[in-house]
Amino acid sequence: METDDRQLIAELRQENTRDLAFNRLVKTYQERLYWHIRKMVLNHDDTDDILQNTFVKVWKSIGSFREESKLYTWLYRIATNETITFLNSKKRRNLLPFNDVSDYLMENLTSDPYFEGDQLQMKLQQAILRLPEKQRIVFNMKYFDDMKYEEMSHVLDTSVGALKASYHHAVKKIEEFIKNTD
Amino acid sequence: MNKLRKIAPRLSKIKKENPFGVPNNYFDDFSARLAVKLEAEKKTLPQPKNTVIRYLKPVLGLAASFALIFMLVYWPLKSFLPQYLAESETYIESTNEDDTFLSILERLDETLFFVVLSEPVSVNETEEAGFLDDELMGYLSANISDYELYLQTEN
Repeated sequence: METDDRQLIAELRQENTRDLAFNRLVKTYQERLYWHIRKMVLNHDDTDDILQNTFVKVWKSIGSFREESKLYTWLYRIATNETITFLNSKKRRNLLPFNDVSDYLMENLTSDPYFEGDQLQMKLQQAILRLPEKQRIVFNMKYFDDMKYEEMSHVLDTSVGALKASYHHAVKKIEEFIKNTD
Repeated sequence: MNKLRKIAPRLSKIKKENPFGVPNNYFDDFSARLAVKLEAEKKTLPQPKNTVIRYLKPVLGLAASFALIFMLVYWPLKSFLPQYLAESETYIESTNEDDTFLSILERLDETLFFVVLSEPVSVNETEEAGFLDDELMGYLSANISDYELYLQTEN
């Protein structure tokens, strides 16, 4: 673990330095976590809610962080779990099958006033949200964030081999979708 | 990248840019909005209780349970079934007496045991155990008339 993170965690655990340290943590990681969440739920308002919930959870559970992994890996993990919980709650509310949240996400994508990409990028996003949930997360983390498989393995609690296979399948499916919609 | 170009040529042609935007000053204001939410969360968090009470809680709970069982079982039995309790208390006492006697016997060795057995019974003990003839005659003459004695011998 980096020295800065170690110092930050030590300050977060002390009552008198906690608030300032937490503010520093938020400033350091808010953008990275925002984009990680945004690529999964696509809509800005949903992302904002999930990001706030993520940091609230971090605040509550910093005492249980065992420092076995990097701080940002732990934060990514909380953000990913919060996002999956959010999507599952949407499925339950809309009585959708367990893996099918693509219609909700498609609506998010097409109605998003903050989408600034071109037609090809819109097509890519449509292809991504047709993927199964796990493949979608793996593809976003690898393709856009260029995260290493070893780090992804810690975040998603999945073996490197399984992650490589998921990414490969995702790329194939996206390529197929683009080819078919040309 | 070359591998991606090979397996997904169309995908690799798409610009790898982030197509999403955020409202103006979103990241500048985020920590302030989060602080408001955290304050609200802190108010809803349960306050840490006194440590001593926290540790004593299971013991107190157990004691309360025993007290409750005592109230619900022993007290009604004592109130509504006094005869039953009297019997069980007698039984306990007699058991204790037996136990004491057995423990005395266990402490005696064999020689001592036979010495105790062969000792003659004292006069006092005979007097305690039964009546002397003179006492019996005195009791009969004081409490039973001659007519009643006659009736008893006739039957």
